[in-house]
Amino acid sequence: METLTPQNLAAAGRPQVFHVRGLTKVYGMGAAEVHALAGVDLDLYAGELAVLLGPSGSGKTTLLNNLGGLDLPTAGELRYRDFDLTLASETELTRYRRDAVGFVFQFYNLIPSLTARENVALITEIARDPMPPEEALHMVNLGARLDHFPAQLSGGEQQRVAIARAIAKRPEVLLCDEPTGALDVRTGIVVLEAIERVNRELGTLTVVITHNAVMAGMADRVIHFSDGRVQHEHRNPTRAPASSLNW
Amino acid sequence: MLSNLDRKLLRDLNRMKGQVVAVALVMACGLAMLVMARSLIFSLESTRQEYYEAHRFAEVFAHLKRAPNALAARVAELPGVATAQAGIAVQVTLDLAGLDEPASGQVRSLPDFGPPELNRLFLRTGSWLAPGSRGELLVSEAFAEANQLHPGDQLAMLLNGRRKEFRIAGLVLSPEIIFEARPGASLPDNRTYGTFWMPYKEIATAFDLYGAFNYLTLTLAPGAQLRSVIAAVDRLLEPYGGRGAYGRADHPSHIRVSDEIRILQTLSIGFPIVFLSVAAFMTNAVLSRLLTLQREQIAILKAFGFANRQIVLHYLKFAFVMVVGGAVVGTLGGVALGHRLVVMYHLFFRFPDLYFRFDRSAVVLALGVGVGAALLGVLSAVRRAARLPPAEAMRPEPPASFRPALVERTGIGHLFSHSFRIAVRNLERRPAQALFTVAGLALATGILIVPNCFRDSVSELLGFQWDVVQRQDMNLGLVEPAGVQVRDLLRQLPGVIAVEPFRGAAARIRFGHRSRQIGIQGTPADTQHSRVVDAWYREIVLPSEGLVVSAKLAEVLAAKVGDELTVQFLEGRRPVRTVPLVGVSEDLTGIAAHMELRALNHLLGDGDVMNGASFTLDMARRREFLHALKQIPRVSWVGIKESLRDNFRQTTAASINLIQSIYLTFAIVVAFGVVYNNARISLAERARELATLRVIGFSEREVGAVLITELTILALIALPLGLLLGTGFANGIVSAVNTETVRLPVIFTLHNYAFATMVVVLASTISALLVLRRLKQLNLVSALKAPE
Repeated sequence: METLTPQNLAAAGRPQVFHVRGLTKVYGMGAAEVHALAGVDLDLYAGELAVLLGPSGSGKTTLLNNLGGLDLPTAGELRYRDFDLTLASETELTRYRRDAVGFVFQFYNLIPSLTARENVALITEIARDPMPPEEALHMVNLGARLDHFPAQLSGGEQQRVAIARAIAKRPEVLLCDEPTGALDVRTGIVVLEAIERVNRELGTLTVVITHNAVMAGMADRVIHFSDGRVQHEHRNPTRAPASSLNW
Repeated sequence: MLSNLDRKLLRDLNRMKGQVVAVALVMACGLAMLVMARSLIFSLESTRQEYYEAHRFAEVFAHLKRAPNALAARVAELPGVATAQAGIAVQVTLDLAGLDEPASGQVRSLPDFGPPELNRLFLRTGSWLAPGSRGELLVSEAFAEANQLHPGDQLAMLLNGRRKEFRIAGLVLSPEIIFEARPGASLPDNRTYGTFWMPYKEIATAFDLYGAFNYLTLTLAPGAQLRSVIAAVDRLLEPYGGRGAYGRADHPSHIRVSDEIRILQTLSIGFPIVFLSVAAFMTNAVLSRLLTLQREQIAILKAFGFANRQIVLHYLKFAFVMVVGGAVVGTLGGVALGHRLVVMYHLFFRFPDLYFRFDRSAVVLALGVGVGAALLGVLSAVRRAARLPPAEAMRPEPPASFRPALVERTGIGHLFSHSFRIAVRNLERRPAQALFTVAGLALATGILIVPNCFRDSVSELLGFQWDVVQRQDMNLGLVEPAGVQVRDLLRQLPGVIAVEPFRGAAARIRFGHRSRQIGIQGTPADTQHSRVVDAWYREIVLPSEGLVVSAKLAEVLAAKVGDELTVQFLEGRRPVRTVPLVGVSEDLTGIAAHMELRALNHLLGDGDVMNGASFTLDMARRREFLHALKQIPRVSWVGIKESLRDNFRQTTAASINLIQSIYLTFAIVVAFGVVYNNARISLAERARELATLRVIGFSEREVGAVLITELTILALIALPLGLLLGTGFANGIVSAVNTETVRLPVIFTLHNYAFATMVVVLASTISALLVLRRLKQLNLVSALKAPE
C-alpha cells in the first residue's frame, strides 16, 4: 500500500478541488464545548472517489457539512478551488451549493409532492449547465420510473433518485452521507453502483462518508477519520467494483 | 406537585405558543361575540322587563277623538281588562329660545292627584308636579338633554293656539318612550321633538277636553286574549272617534327595542358558529402537528406502560389550555365590547338604568361551545395517537402519498412551475386543512363587508329619502285642516321659493283579512316635493283616483295592483271607501300610502283642504323664515331636512364606527391567526423538505416562494368566497333590520369589497412574512439528520 501525499496526486495531474488546513469546529461553550473537528488537514482532487471512514461521532458528517457549505468552521482554512468558503456570505454559499455541490443523504430527502422526474427537474431548472432529468435518471437505472412519487418508490429507488438529483446539474463535487445507511445490502450495492458510475462517467469528485469499512474497497483513496481529525489515509491500487462488495 | 407529563405539557405549550395564541384568539373572537350579544340581549330584555313591571307599562293602547270619562269605567269592566287608564295626549308646538326651528311634541296628562295607574314615570332629576299645581310640567329626559333644559327652566308652548310659559319641575322617563320619535318618523330627533306631562286639569282645560279623554291604555287580566280585548275596545270606542287599539307588538317604542334584540340574536348565533368552527379546525391542525412530531414520544410512553387514557388526557389538556385561554379573553373582550355598546344604546333607548348585565349563562355556553369545538377538533387526532401500536410508532412515518393535482390532470400541467406543483399537490393532499384556511380567510373577508354595507345602505337610504323623494327643504304640519288658500299665505313668508300643500289622513287600510293603520299622504299630482317613485326611482304621477302604496305595505296586505282595498278613515266623518290599488312605490322608511290630494279630499268628503305644506327655501333666509313661522299659531310641527340629516348622520356614524372597529379587529385577528397557523404548520411539517431545498441550492426567497404560493392560492380562492359570504352575511343582517318602519336597501359598493380584500391581504401578508422570517432559523444540518 502506497502512502499518498498531496504532492503525489498533484503530480498525477489532477487539480486540487478542496484545500483544508487546521479546520476546527467547536459546538457549545465552556464546559459544554465539543470539538467536532479538531484540526483537519485534507486535500481532495478532481475525479477521485474518496471514502471517509470513521465511527459515528467522529466528526465526519461535520466535515462533509463544512465542505458542502451547510456549516461554517470555527477556525482553519477551507478553500474550494480559489474560493475561501470561510469568508462566504449566505448568498454566496447558496450560489456555491446550487452550482458546485451535489448532496446525497442517508434519508434521501426527496420532495414528497414531486415525482422522480420533477425532483430532478427542480434542480436542473436552477442549475447553470444541467443534463436533462431523464438522462440523470437513466444513469441511475430509473428510466422506467420517471413519473412515480417518492411514496411509490422503494428505499433504494428513492436513494437513486436522490443521486440523480445530485448529479443532474453536473456538479464538481458529489457529497454522500451514509448513502446506504438506511438500506439493506442488496439495494445498498445498487446505490453504490450508481455512485460509482457517476464518478467514472462524469469524473465528479465524490466523497462518501460511512462507518462501513467494506465500502473502502471501492475507493481511490480511503481516509480514516476519528476524534475530529484525519488519522491516516491510504490509496487502493485498484478500485473494487461496487457489485463485488458484501457486508 | 406538577407531574412530569404536565411539565412536558407546559414546555410543549411554550414551544408552540404562537399557534396556541392564534387559536385562542380566533376562539376568543367568536366567544366575545357570543358573550357580548347574549349579555346585551339579557341586559335589554331584563332591564325592559323590570322597567315595564315596575312602572306598569300598559298592554293595549288606543287613541280616539274624545270620549266622556265615564266610558273609561266601561272599558275597565270589559272581560279580560285588568286596569284601564284614561287620559289626554295632544300634539303641541314649542317655542324654544335657543332653537331656530319650531319644535313640537306631545303633551300627556297625569292624574291631578296621585301617581298614574299605568305607564308610571321615572323621575331622573328635579321634582314631581306639586298636587294641584299649575304652570308646571315634566319633560322627557332625551329632549331636555338635547336642548340643555334643566329643572327650574322655563319652556313656552302653544296650547291649542295659545302661547303659555311653563316651569320645568323635573326630567322624567316613561316606559312608553324608551325609543322616542315623532309618530311615523323612523329616527329620533330629540332636539325638535319631545314628550311632556302636565296635570289633567290644565291640559284638559286648554284643549276643551275637561271631563273627557282621548287616549286610553290598559293592562290585561291573566289569561285574557289580546285580540278579543282589542276588538271589544274598538267596538266601544268607535262612536267616539277611536283610531283602532293596538297591543305592545305594534307599540312604536316597544317594537324598536324588540328589533334591536332580534338583530342581536342573529349576531349571537351566526358569527360565533363560524368563528368557532374555524377555531376548532385550527385546534385540530395544531394538535395533529404536535402528535406527528411526538409519534416516537407517544410510542415510548406507551412502551413504558402509560395507558391510552393518560395519553389522550395529556393531549386534551393541551387543547383545553387553548379553550380556557380563548374563553377568558373572549369573555373579557365580550364584556368590554358590551359595555361600550350599552353606552351607544343610550343614544336611542332611554331606560332609568340600562347598564351592562353580564349573562353568566353566556360564559357557561361559551365555555361549553369552546370545549365542544376543541374536542371536535382534537378527537380524531388524539384517537389516531391512541391507536398507534408502540413498535410502529417508533419507526418513522413513511413518506406521504401524493399524486398529480386535479388542475394538472386537465393537461395543462406542463405549464406549472415546480413550486406551484408542490403547492397544489400539498393543498390537494390536505383538503381539510386547505378548506379551513380558506374558510377562515373567507370569514375574515366576509365580516368586513357587513359594517360597510350597513354604512352604504344607510347612506343610500338617506340619499333616497332626502334627495330622490323629499326634495323640499322643510315640512310643516297644521293643527287642523285648512283651506288650500293657506298656501298663498305661506308663500308670502320670507325666503319661500316654492310651497306645496299636502294632507295626511289617518286610516285603516284593509285587504282580505289583513289590515294596517297608516297615514295616507295626499299630494298634488305634479308634486316636486314629496315625490312618489317606483323601484327604479322613476317618478310615479299620481292618478286622479286610486291608491299608490309602498311595496312593503303591498306585501303586508298581500295586495297587488288592480285589487280593491277598503279604506276606513279614522278622522273627520270617518267614511269607509273602496279604493283601487293603482300602483306600488318604493319607500325605504316603511309602509306608506299615497293619493292625489284632491282625490283624497274627495274621498273624505271635504273640499280643497290641506293640513300641511312643504317648502323649497332660499337657505340664506332660513332664520328669517323660521322666525316668521314661529309667529303662526296654527303650525303644529316643523321638520327641517338638513337638521334631520345631520342629526341622523351623527348618531349613526358613531354607532357604525364602533361596530366597524369591532369587526375590523375580528377580521384582522382571524386573517392573521389563520394564516399564521397555516404557515407555521407547513413550515414545521415540511422543515425537512424546505431544508433540503435550501441545501441543494435554493435561496431563502425561493424556498419562501413555495410556502407563499400555497397561501396565495388559498387566498385567491378565499377572497371571492369571502366577498360572497360577506354579501350573504350583510344581506341577512341588514334585512333583519327590515321592518315596517325602516327598510334598508342592501347596497354593495366596489369600495366596500376593495377595502375588505385589502385588509385581509394585508393582514395575511404581514402574518406570512412573520412566519417566513423563521426560514432564516431553519437548521439545515439538523433537518437532514433523521426523517420525522
